[in-house]
Amino acid sequence: MALTTLEFEFKADAPKSIAKEWSHLGVTGSGDLEVLMERKDLGGKTKAKVVTPVVGFDAIWEKMINKFVVENNVGDVSIEINDDNATPIVVYMRLRQALAEANAKEGEQA
Amino acid sequence: MKNWKELEASSFLDANARERALGMVEAGTFTEFLNPRDRFVSPHLPVLGTAVEFDDGTVTGVGLIGKHPVFIVSMEGKFIGGSIGEVNGGKMVNTLRLAEKAAVQIKAAHPDEYDARRPLVAISFETGGVRLHEANAGLLAHAEVMDAFQDCRHKVPIVAVVGSKVGCFGGMGFVAAATDVIVMSEEGRIGLTGPEVIEQEMGKEEFDASNKALVYRTTGGKQKYIMQDCNYLVEDKISDFYDVLAKVADLSMQQIEEMRRIGSLKLVQEQMDLVKLVGEMQPKDSMDLWKYYGNESPEALPEMSTAEFLKVVKRRVRK
Amino acid sequence: MEFKGVKREWNTLKKDADARLKDAAPYVKEGKIVDAKDTVALLEAVIKPGDKVNIEGNNQKQADFLAKCLCQVDVKKIHDLHMVQSVLTLPEHLDVFEKGIAKKLDMSFSGPQAKRIAEFLQEGKLELGAIHTYLELYGRYFVDLTPRVALVVATKADRNGNLYTGFSTEDTPVIVEATKFRQGIVIAQVNEIVDELPRVDIPGDWVDFVIESPKPFYIEPLFTRDPALITDAQVLKGMMAIKGIYAEYGVKSLNHGIGFDTAAIELLLPTYGEELGLKGKICTNFILNPHPTLIPAIESGWVESIHSFGGELGMEDYVAARSDIFFVGPDGSMRSNRAFSQTAGHYAIDMFIGGTLQIDPYGNSSTATATRVAGFGGAPNMGCDAKGRRHSSDAWLKVGDEYGMKEEMYGNVRRGKRLVVQLAETFREKLAPGFVEELDAFALAKNAKLPIEPVMIYGDDLTHIITEEGIAYLHKCRSMEERTAAIRGIAGFTEVGMKADPKMTKHLRETGVIKTATDLGIDINRANRSMLAAKNVHDLVEWSGGLYNPPAKFRNW
Repeated sequence: MALTTLEFEFKADAPKSIAKEWSHLGVTGSGDLEVLMERKDLGGKTKAKVVTPVVGFDAIWEKMINKFVVENNVGDVSIEINDDNATPIVVYMRLRQALAEANAKEGEQA
Repeated sequence: MKNWKELEASSFLDANARERALGMVEAGTFTEFLNPRDRFVSPHLPVLGTAVEFDDGTVTGVGLIGKHPVFIVSMEGKFIGGSIGEVNGGKMVNTLRLAEKAAVQIKAAHPDEYDARRPLVAISFETGGVRLHEANAGLLAHAEVMDAFQDCRHKVPIVAVVGSKVGCFGGMGFVAAATDVIVMSEEGRIGLTGPEVIEQEMGKEEFDASNKALVYRTTGGKQKYIMQDCNYLVEDKISDFYDVLAKVADLSMQQIEEMRRIGSLKLVQEQMDLVKLVGEMQPKDSMDLWKYYGNESPEALPEMSTAEFLKVVKRRVRK
Repeated sequence: MEFKGVKREWNTLKKDADARLKDAAPYVKEGKIVDAKDTVALLEAVIKPGDKVNIEGNNQKQADFLAKCLCQVDVKKIHDLHMVQSVLTLPEHLDVFEKGIAKKLDMSFSGPQAKRIAEFLQEGKLELGAIHTYLELYGRYFVDLTPRVALVVATKADRNGNLYTGFSTEDTPVIVEATKFRQGIVIAQVNEIVDELPRVDIPGDWVDFVIESPKPFYIEPLFTRDPALITDAQVLKGMMAIKGIYAEYGVKSLNHGIGFDTAAIELLLPTYGEELGLKGKICTNFILNPHPTLIPAIESGWVESIHSFGGELGMEDYVAARSDIFFVGPDGSMRSNRAFSQTAGHYAIDMFIGGTLQIDPYGNSSTATATRVAGFGGAPNMGCDAKGRRHSSDAWLKVGDEYGMKEEMYGNVRRGKRLVVQLAETFREKLAPGFVEELDAFALAKNAKLPIEPVMIYGDDLTHIITEEGIAYLHKCRSMEERTAAIRGIAGFTEVGMKADPKMTKHLRETGVIKTATDLGIDINRANRSMLAAKNVHDLVEWSGGLYNPPAKFRNW
C-alpha cells in the first residue's frame, strides 16, 4: 500500500551535466509525473530516485531511465521523479523535456 | 517552460499552477516559497500509497505588479484534484500571514507611499476542497485561511482568481466567497457541492451532471457575473487575469470593500433578499434568473464570446 | 435426363406475412400508424416463435423503444427468436435472452454488453452463431440470415410509412431491403410523424407500421473527442504518423478510427501538416463520421470529400453547410449509409489507421479480452488488404512495391497493398501491456467456445505499427522472423520487447524497417498540445463559424 521508493545509479559513455543548477518539470497528475533535476558532482554518474504507487515495475523503471541516461549522455545529475502511474511513453517524453528545460537558457523556451 | 511573454498570451485554463503563478505577476519577479527543490511533500500520502508532489499541489510565492508586492497562492488541479491537505494548506495560510506582515512593514517604512506599495493577495483556486487523505489538517487549514482573511480585511486586498479546469468547490467554495474581489473567466466555476454529488444525492432529474452546459450555466463565470457573485469576468488568457490584478492593486481599500458580497449586516440582508426572490420565483434553470434581470434571450448568453457578453449582459443591480 | 419438379407452393412467405399483417390490423390507427401503447400487442401479432428478428441499432442510433417493447412480449407467445443485428448496446438487447424471448444471436459488435454475452454463453442462455464484420453480416442478410421481422428506427415518417432517416440513415436501408424483399415485416419507430417529409429515404411500401415513440431515439455522440483531453503523448504519435506514414506514402484516401490518437492527427494537419507542406498531398478524401476534430482541417482547405457511416450529434448544420465536402441530399441534409461507407472503406481507400489493445509477435492485433465477447464492427473490413481491389494509387503501389515477400507471394505481377496502421503504446493506462506473446483472444476463444480466435486485424494485413519507440514498417520484412524482430524492436519494455535482439533492432533501423522519432527528424520537445489546431470544443465551434453545435456534455460554457 505504501509508496515505493526506487534508487538507481547509471553511467553513460560520455556524460555531460546540465546547464542549470536545478530544474523542475511536470505535475504528478494521474498518468503523469514530475521530474526534478539537479547538477551534482557524482563522478560522471547519474543518480535517480523514483517515488511511485506502482508495484512490480522496478526493473522497467531502471531500464527506462538507463536508456534515457545512455542515449542522452547524462552525467553528474541527480534525477528525482514523483510518479503517479505514468506510462512509458509519458516517462520517455517528460525525461527528455526535463533535460531540455534543464539546459535551456533562463527565460528562453525549452 | 514558456517565457513570460508567451505565458501572458496563453490560456489560463490550460496552464499549470506554476505557470499561472508566474504569469500573475510582472516578468521575472516571482520568488517561490517552498519550491520543488525544498521537497516539502505531504507526510500522510506515502503511508496511504498515494503519489506525492514536491510542492504538495500548491505553488506559493511573491512577485511584483508595479510597486505592489503580490502574494500568490496557485492550486494545481491535476494533483489529487487540487485538494487541500496539511502542507499545502499551511503554505496557503502562511502566505497570507506574510502578506499581512509585509503590509505592516511597508506602512512603517513608506507611510506616504503606502497605497502605491500596498500588498495584494491573489489566490488561484483549483480545488474540490479538503483532501480526504488528511481531512482534519485540511479542514483546519480552511479555518485558518478564513481567520487570516479577517485579519487582512481593510488592510490587504484578497483576490480570488477562478479560471481553472477543476473550478472551486467544497469548503474552498466558502473560502472564495469570503475574499474581497472575485475574478473569473467563463470557464471558471464556483460552487459548494460538486455537480456529481448533487446528482448522486438529488437524482438526475434534479441535476444532470453529465449535462456540462447545465453545470456551467449554474456554476460558471457568466452566471456568477450576472448574479454579482463575481466582480470581473475576463477572457481565458493569463494576461487578462494579470490586467485585473493590476487594476485592483491600485484601487482604494474603500472601493475594494464595496466589492465584497458578504461580511456586513447590509450584505447579509442583500443575500437574504436573493434567497427570498429565489423562493418566490422557483427558477428551474439559471436562465430564468438571467431573464428576470432583463436579459431577453438568456439562451444566447452562453454562446457569446466574453467580449460580446460583457457588452450586452444585464446584471443583478446591487443596492 | 428426367427433370423432377418439386410440388410445392411458391409463395408461402408472402401468405404467412399477409396472415401476420391481418392479425396486426386491429392495432393500425390510420394509414400505417400504430399507437405507441399498442406496440407490444403489435409485436405479439407479427412475430412468431423461432423468427429471425433484427433490432436496428449500430453504435450510434438505436431502435430503443422497440427494443424495450420486445422485452415486454409474452414469452409463452414469443420465444426462441434468432436475433440478427449488428450491435448489442442496450441492456434490452440481452434482456430478451434472459427472459427466453430470444435464443440465438448473430452479431457484429457489442460494446457495453460484451461481458453479459460471455456470461450468457457460459450459462447456456444464448447460442452464438458468429461474430461478423458489418459488411459480412449485411451480406448474410441476403443469404441465410434474412430477418423475418425488422424493428428499425427513423427520424420522421409520414402516415403512408415513408421514412426520413436523414443524417442518421446508417443501417436502415440494408435492413429494410433485405427484410421487405424476402416478404418480411418492417416496423419503424420514429421521433415524429409529419405530413410532409424533407425527403424520402425509405419508400413507404417497404414499411408496414410506423410508431411515434414516446421519446426521441437514443443516440450517442460516439465520435466526438474533446481536444482538451488530447495528451502530449498522442501529439507525439500523431507527428510520427504524419511524417513517417502519411507523408512518406502520400496517403490521400483513408479512414480514421474512433479515438484520441486519430483526433490528434486531425488537429495536427493544419499546423504540423501545413509546416511540412503536405496540404493537397495527403488526407484529401475520408471515409469517416463527421468528426468535430476534423473541422479545422476542412476549414483550412485540406479535405475534398467525406462519406460517413452515420451522423454525429451536433454536426448537422455544419455538414449541411459544406455540401461540397459531405454527401448531402436535395433537401440539404446529409445522408449517411453504413453499408456503402463500409464498402468504400474496404475497397476505395488507401489507408486504415486505428488503435488496438494488444499486438502479438506476429502482428495480429485484437481488442478482445478474456471475459468479453465484443466483436470488431467494421474495423476488420477496413483493416485488411482488400484482395479484390483492382484500381491503383501511388500510396497503394508504393506499399506493394516495398512488400518484402512479394516475390514469394506475388510472383512477377505488380500488385499494390493497403496501408493498415496500428497506433499503439508499449504500455497503456494502468500499465497494461500493448504487446503480448499471446493475445487474450486465445483465452476468450476457449472460454466462449469460439471456433476461431477473435482477431481484429490479422498480422499479414498489418503494414505499420507506431509506438513511442518508433514505427515498424512491417510490410518491408522478408520473413516472419524479420517481422517478429521488427515488432519486438518497437515494443519497448513489454515481454515482447524485452526479447528484442539489440543487434537485430540496430540492423532493422539501418535498413529502414524501424524508424524512431529521431530517425524521422522529429523534435520530441515540440510534441505538446500547443501543436493542436484546436485546444478545446469551444475552439472547434469557432473554427466552424458557429455551425457546430456540440452536445451539452461537451460544453464548458
